[in-house]
Amino acid sequence: MIASEEFGSPYRRLVLLAIVAAACVVLFGRLIVLQLLYHEELGKKSDENSVRTLVKEPVRGYMFDRNGRLIVDVGPAFSVTVTPSEFDTLNYKRLAALLDLELPTLRDRVAKGRAYSRFSPVRVKRDVDFRTLSSLEENLFMLPGVSYEVESKRTYTGGQHAAHLLGYCKEISDAQFAKLGAVYRQGDVIGSSGLEASYETFLRGEKGFEFFSVNAKGQSTGPLESGKRDVLPKEGFDLILSLDYGLQAYAESLMTPFRGALVALDPHTGGILAAVSKPDFNPEVFSGVTSAEEWNALNNDPAKPLFNRATQTRYPPGSTFKMLLALAALQEGVIDEQYEIKCTGGFRFGNRLFKDTHVHGQTDIIKSIQQSCNVFYNQLILKVGLDLWASYCRMFGFGKSAGFDLPEETTGLVPTSAYYDRVYGPGRWTQGNLVSLGIGQGELGVSPLQMARYVATLANKGTLVQPHAVNYVRNKQSNRLEAIDYKSTKLPIKEEYFDIVREAMRRCVQVTGGTGMAAGIPGIESAGKTGTAENPHGGDHSWFVGFAPFENPQIAIAVLVENVGFGASYAAPIAGLVNERYLKGEVKRSYHFAPPKRGTSKDSTASITQALAH
Amino acid sequence: MRSYFKEFFDSKLFFVVVAVVGIGLLSIYSATYDVRAAVNFKRQLVFAGFGFVFMLAAWLVPLKTLQRLSFIAYGLTLAILLFVLVYGATHKGAKSWFELMQGFGGQPSEFAKITTVLAAASYFSQSSVNIANLKHFLTGVCIFIVPMGLILAQPDLGTTIVFFIALLPLLYWAGVSNFTLIALIVPILVAGGALFGTAQFLGAAAIGAALLYYFRENRFAAVAAFGITLALGLTVQIMYERLAPYQQKRISTFLNPEADLQGAGYNVFQSKIAIGSGGLLGKGYLHGTQTQLNYIPEQWTDFIFCVPGEEFGFVGASVVLLLLFTLLFHGVNLAAQSKNRYGSIVAIGFTGIWAAHIIINTGMAMALLPVIGIPLPFMSYGGSSLIANMIMAGILMNVYSNRKAY
Repeated sequence: MIASEEFGSPYRRLVLLAIVAAACVVLFGRLIVLQLLYHEELGKKSDENSVRTLVKEPVRGYMFDRNGRLIVDVGPAFSVTVTPSEFDTLNYKRLAALLDLELPTLRDRVAKGRAYSRFSPVRVKRDVDFRTLSSLEENLFMLPGVSYEVESKRTYTGGQHAAHLLGYCKEISDAQFAKLGAVYRQGDVIGSSGLEASYETFLRGEKGFEFFSVNAKGQSTGPLESGKRDVLPKEGFDLILSLDYGLQAYAESLMTPFRGALVALDPHTGGILAAVSKPDFNPEVFSGVTSAEEWNALNNDPAKPLFNRATQTRYPPGSTFKMLLALAALQEGVIDEQYEIKCTGGFRFGNRLFKDTHVHGQTDIIKSIQQSCNVFYNQLILKVGLDLWASYCRMFGFGKSAGFDLPEETTGLVPTSAYYDRVYGPGRWTQGNLVSLGIGQGELGVSPLQMARYVATLANKGTLVQPHAVNYVRNKQSNRLEAIDYKSTKLPIKEEYFDIVREAMRRCVQVTGGTGMAAGIPGIESAGKTGTAENPHGGDHSWFVGFAPFENPQIAIAVLVENVGFGASYAAPIAGLVNERYLKGEVKRSYHFAPPKRGTSKDSTASITQALAH
Repeated sequence: MRSYFKEFFDSKLFFVVVAVVGIGLLSIYSATYDVRAAVNFKRQLVFAGFGFVFMLAAWLVPLKTLQRLSFIAYGLTLAILLFVLVYGATHKGAKSWFELMQGFGGQPSEFAKITTVLAAASYFSQSSVNIANLKHFLTGVCIFIVPMGLILAQPDLGTTIVFFIALLPLLYWAGVSNFTLIALIVPILVAGGALFGTAQFLGAAAIGAALLYYFRENRFAAVAAFGITLALGLTVQIMYERLAPYQQKRISTFLNPEADLQGAGYNVFQSKIAIGSGGLLGKGYLHGTQTQLNYIPEQWTDFIFCVPGEEFGFVGASVVLLLLFTLLFHGVNLAAQSKNRYGSIVAIGFTGIWAAHIIINTGMAMALLPVIGIPLPFMSYGGSSLIANMIMAGILMNVYSNRKAY
């Protein structure tokens, strides 16, 4: 045999066995790497392939008023979907017509859906109205692949009131998403203003999840593990507000022809009874899908309807601020209860004469408030001094945010020496600046909310309450009402001084000669103070602050009407009507407003006479 | 009787084949569990039945007869391969299907594997043939090259590669000199290196040069071989550069499928996930999500290894690998045991074919190797493949029976 001696040699056998063994080891090694080392990561990828998560949105919490009346509800929003693989393209025209969509828009949306997954339904129109839905339903049998799904949106029972207070929800912005990411997804709706925003974490609830098995085509093959792993959504918590919705509606109807704000509080607790800001908007605009036109109209309106005049603006308070100065002077011992001056109709400071509205003659504290004498206060503030007076302002909650449970409050402005130093420069201002401050003019800026709190403090004789909108939160899991605690502070001012000031305010409304008689309520004794704030940009603002009944007050109110003139003519009667509505439940009389006297706001329909009903 | 059995019946081989075919059937059942492809399970059952019949026949045919018929069978398969190139039905992009009657046919390339090995074994076992003789050596190589060429023309790159890989141990076992073998392998490897890039090409060339030098029988041959190597490598390099970018991308994606997960790499990616997500014990029979939800296309053919990997985990996949490698170890040992040179070479040849299939298929399924579409022996769905493999097993059982005879 002429054969190679290497044929079948034992050595070569070993070489071959070694090669096979090496291959075996390598493959086993790889198997170990994949199945033991990378098991978790690859297992996750396997799940990503085959498990689809459907997010179940929770129902947002409702809002009720103090009487248990449902004011903010959740209703269905219908979205129309198209499943590309089932949709007959001949139906595009018909569907576009039914949905009132532009044909290219519809095509585009379906194409985008098809690119993502042929078997998943894609939303082609959100929040369709019921008529569209009904006509769609009638035609559904001719439109294979078309369906609709139900989402939820806010609905408002009983009209479009308290829009600023209640707030609205919008799609989450990129900035918000970057900050709050984890709980939200792109496209989620988040409270953007008012209570919807400040109580977002209570109202939003918790999302639920449904898991489905999905095959390589993206088709769902059924629930994963029969739904064992599914998580139920948790409903959002309800808010029980201190608001009296009927009162709110009534107050809004009175304020509608004007621009301004009205805040009514419970003087014992600080709970909001009504909070009006005019002009306002319909909160339904924001629920569901807001069209670009609607949004632009509101945003660009020069009257700024989205602005909350009750909490976000500051105005000079005018004469309504006199009570504070009086209390400060009394408490500091600058004056005593019998203090009087002679009002000659003007106050001279340096070479300026500050004119008063009338010559009041001999004026004590009570008369100075009842008849609103300016001279009394022009000179009183000089006696008290700027910074001491400023400290009392702060004591009553001015110059800082009231800690109200709405986002974005103005702090207002309380000038101090430091402030004037900064603005004018040290040594470049004089006591002359104080003269106007004494009668609530000048750089002093307050919000109607702060004023309501201030008059509530006067009403309850010295307890600074915390204004708030929400009394209770109803926990939907435990179904228990959880009260929210609000802190009140007793001010270091003697109660007898409050008695003096309160009596003065009573006479202002109840006794002839008082400037606030228009605020009187037939059959109930009340108290208050008018103010007419000069406004460098236009007509004077009309102010009124007050409370009722005089003994054991139930409601404290601050009303501001922009650019219409005397406080007595507008703010006072409105306050009176609102108080009456609250105390009696209905108002039988009617009131006619005279046209505003000095310079009006551009839009105000000044020549309206209001016949007022409930 | 018992001793007869032990002497002439290769029980190890037989039961390993039975086990692997069984696991294969279970896997195909799982992979085709959704209604559309369920018919494949039944078909494979039928193929297995036929396979067993042919396997027993191959075992019982006298070995000498087989030896004598080797070249005739070889010629016949060459003819059919040629026929298929001209008149064959296209199957997965290659003209590889020979249709006998309506819907009934086979892949001659599967049977060519058998006959080529038989022919080469017959040739090299002749006493007048000396593999050290260059002419004889080249003739033997040609026995492989011809069918390789016909198969490459289909085109079926995978099977061609299998042929080449099976050739090497066969030559080695037949006694080829180390140098000759190296001289055969190095140019191919270096040319392959050229596809990866210039640096890899130079690196491979350097290693190749070292090997050629180390194993040289004489300097001239070594230099000549190296010259061929460089020429081949440079040719490939130049041709590669002349390719259009999309063609170059095809090659690089082929070499690294994970770079293109949406396209060519998709199957491998899903396969890796399937195997990896099986963990230690797997997701349970018929509960593999990758398998049941059809994330791996046509999983009952080339990626059948994923099924035990996903559904029975490391335990299951290890069992399969061990069984398959048992075949390989057994084959090498059988070749060593067999005093019959023909049988001996046949054993190595078949073992080489199986080794190529097993290593490439499982390596691909585990994303170690490029995607080369070849079946896993005894497991992948496919009548020709299953029956051909079982015939090979039968022949090996035959070699075992005759191992003590010259």
